[in-house]
Amino acid sequence: MLTAEEIRTVLFTLQVAGLATLVILPFGVAAALLLARYQGPGKGALETLLSLPLVLPPTAVGIVLLHVLARRGPVGAWLDARGIEVVFTGKAVLLATAIMSFPLLVRSARTAFEEVDPRLVGIARTLGCGPAAAFFRVTLPLAWRGVLAGAVLAFSRALGEFGATVMVAGNIPGKTRTLALAIFHENQVGRDDRALALAGVTVALAFAALWTTEWVTRRRAGRGRA
Amino acid sequence: MGDPPAGGSGPGVIEISIDVPLAPFALRVEARLPGAITAVMGPSGSGKTTLLESLAGLRPRARGRVAVGGDVLLDTAAGVSWRPEARRIGYVPQDAGLFPHLTALGNVRFGARGDASRVEAAIDTLEIRGLLGRYPASLSGGEKQRVALARALATSPRLLLLDEPLAALDVGLRERILPWLVRVRDEWRLPCLYVTHNVGEALALAARLLLLRDGRVEAEGAPGDLLASPALAREAETGIENLLPGRVVSHDAEGGVTRVRADAGFEMTVGLVPDRAAGTAVTLAVRAEDVLVAVEAVRGLSARNVYPARIAALERTGVDVTLRAVLEGSGAALLARVTPAAVRALGLEAGKGVWLAVKSHSVRLV
Repeated sequence: MLTAEEIRTVLFTLQVAGLATLVILPFGVAAALLLARYQGPGKGALETLLSLPLVLPPTAVGIVLLHVLARRGPVGAWLDARGIEVVFTGKAVLLATAIMSFPLLVRSARTAFEEVDPRLVGIARTLGCGPAAAFFRVTLPLAWRGVLAGAVLAFSRALGEFGATVMVAGNIPGKTRTLALAIFHENQVGRDDRALALAGVTVALAFAALWTTEWVTRRRAGRGRA
Repeated sequence: MGDPPAGGSGPGVIEISIDVPLAPFALRVEARLPGAITAVMGPSGSGKTTLLESLAGLRPRARGRVAVGGDVLLDTAAGVSWRPEARRIGYVPQDAGLFPHLTALGNVRFGARGDASRVEAAIDTLEIRGLLGRYPASLSGGEKQRVALARALATSPRLLLLDEPLAALDVGLRERILPWLVRVRDEWRLPCLYVTHNVGEALALAARLLLLRDGRVEAEGAPGDLLASPALAREAETGIENLLPGRVVSHDAEGGVTRVRADAGFEMTVGLVPDRAAGTAVTLAVRAEDVLVAVEAVRGLSARNVYPARIAALERTGVDVTLRAVLEGSGAALLARVTPAAVRALGLEAGKGVWLAVKSHSVRLV
């Protein structure tokens, strides 16, 4: 079975992926809503920008982050002056996974928001709801399945993030080594049995996340919904 | 039956003076309506729904002034524009617009802000107590409309906007829902704009009629007076612009045509309608877009009805131009709809002599 160190790696990975998902949730929902409702100029550019991490090599994102956040980088210098270190720490893992998972959340949530009839939101307004109340009482209850599915996809993507993480956070055991990095490491040092065991863990985790979502959304869908 | 008084700022008087720019044409409505039910009629695309949405505050681009019972909800010149949630206007769209994730009760309570007595009263008026636990997906069209109406009533609205509440229902069901509307009118006494295509509903419910066409008010008055004009009544129902009363002259079965003499003093050949005997009173109905305009005498055209005429007026209506032409000899007027490009290419202007052509099969007898 797993060693104590491997279990720590699994827990660290779960923690980072969960935290990354929570951190991007409000921003991702806001971006998805914006893309679903906004029709003005610049929409295409914004859409493309938000989807870039999907198609870029993760290492490209990682190298950019590394240089932006390095002690002499534009943001890194500012952080360094305040005693905050990001590169090659757990924070870097969190940041890299959050950025790489963000588009998956946005895509799924946006589709769900687009399916909510905007006229229902208008009716909620005439019934006394301000824009925020209309969102929480009508838009979100009608779109939550898509938001949840997006969050699970983002979480699963975060579990497996490798390229950006290895560039900006390194592969430091007990500090920045996630499951994906550990698999790579075990393979590199010739312990493929350990790499395969860890791969099995990732399969189980991703399967559990996706299956739970499927189960929850399907079960609730049976209830009186058109 | 006289015009209901709408002067002053009596209870619930609705003052509307708005401009809504929208593709493809602008809605411009000026009206002063009594604190009762006003039927809003007109062809599809004449701006009826846009008018309701503007009053409800759902059209941010609406400009002008709206006041209900003396409360000014919109006055862009004075910088006043109440948000929709502050207007207290009950809006029931054509498909009822119920929230699918809430039960009927959840829907009715949605905007009531905990005012249980209003919720109860609304439930009783519409007799929906037996439906409260059900979700909209399991309600029939008529039940949805009743729940939506109750939901609007439970918010204590100052104005009710109903967009063709009966349109989606079949005839039998309409007749069963109409009494509920009469009941809402008589028990709740709310000012109301009621969009309909049905003359019977307008006469049964409304104290006032507003007829829209291409975003403008075409006629306003007591429904009984306006709808007494068969042409207006048919236009309100059908949206056909040229409606000319006349009588059947003769049939030509072999030629496949029927000749009709319009009371205005000209003849029109229409597709054969053998079931109308000679002498029967009929109304010729021709859509303005089916009237062709030529600037030279036309020969060798398949259209059977060609009349020399003179353009009396041109008006931009939506993306098109509607021109009114007076037929030479009879003095009858026909409306024709053409594109702005045609106006330019043919040099159409008031006073210009033209020929109007109408295919026999473009004429309906109604």
